[in-house]
Amino acid sequence: MTSSPLFCRFASAYGTSFAVFYVVALKFDLALFTVYPSLGVVLLGTHHPTDAADPAVGFVAPAMYWYGWVATAALAALMTGLIAVALPARWAKGGVWPVIVWVAPVAAMIACVCLTLPWFRL
Amino acid sequence: MPTALLIVHGLVAVALLGAITHQVLATWAPVHNRFGSVFSRFRAVPAASFANAVILLYAVSACLGGLVYLYFRVDIRPGLEQAGQWSALGLFDLKEHFVAIGAALLPAYWISWQRPLSDERPRTSAALTLILAFVVWWSFLIGHVVNNIRGFGL
Repeated sequence: MTSSPLFCRFASAYGTSFAVFYVVALKFDLALFTVYPSLGVVLLGTHHPTDAADPAVGFVAPAMYWYGWVATAALAALMTGLIAVALPARWAKGGVWPVIVWVAPVAAMIACVCLTLPWFRL
Repeated sequence: MPTALLIVHGLVAVALLGAITHQVLATWAPVHNRFGSVFSRFRAVPAASFANAVILLYAVSACLGGLVYLYFRVDIRPGLEQAGQWSALGLFDLKEHFVAIGAALLPAYWISWQRPLSDERPRTSAALTLILAFVVWWSFLIGHVVNNIRGFGL
């Protein structure tokens, strides 16, 4: 498996698409699940405490979305990786893929910085 | 329990920091003289031999960090919010994002060090190693700033 061209294609597609989908999940708040660590509760989908209760609930039972964003991106990247494996080999050949595999994560990290900038203006 | 987890997380992070720093310097500034200065010998290691260790340490460190993060969210973060430490929280959020993106790169990173076949491969493995090194250094430094934020007088 280690030297398989299929695994190579999967790994490249997974890493690249995860970076893209992670930024999408972060931007549009698409968490596969929401964790309430103080309550020990996990709810499917994105839930904001203020949606259904008083804003003060956010302090008593803080919600965590990071695990959900990671799960959303991982699931979408997994599907992209499987599609990449299923594609004809000639589509996967070309000079751009080895570059995209590291350019996409760098671009995603820059996008994350842009999406986090509001924290520094508070 | 959280303190023990945090200490183990920190120790694993130190090992990871050493491995990835060795590898990134051996890749980007290689030397072949093993008898030079300490810095030369630091860069003279076979870079590929660090790949498996980096992957293992990164995975363990990320998992431990994911566990500690639960305690951080409940016990530490509300205090930082009340103290108005928004910049520190923003930097810590970036750490979460970078670690997630870096973790997803591990399979491609591993492949790139396993199969240095074409001309593109060395450049890809060097670039992926540099990205992971940045993520590890950022996470290490920001983790320590937030962990010791009172000591910094912030």
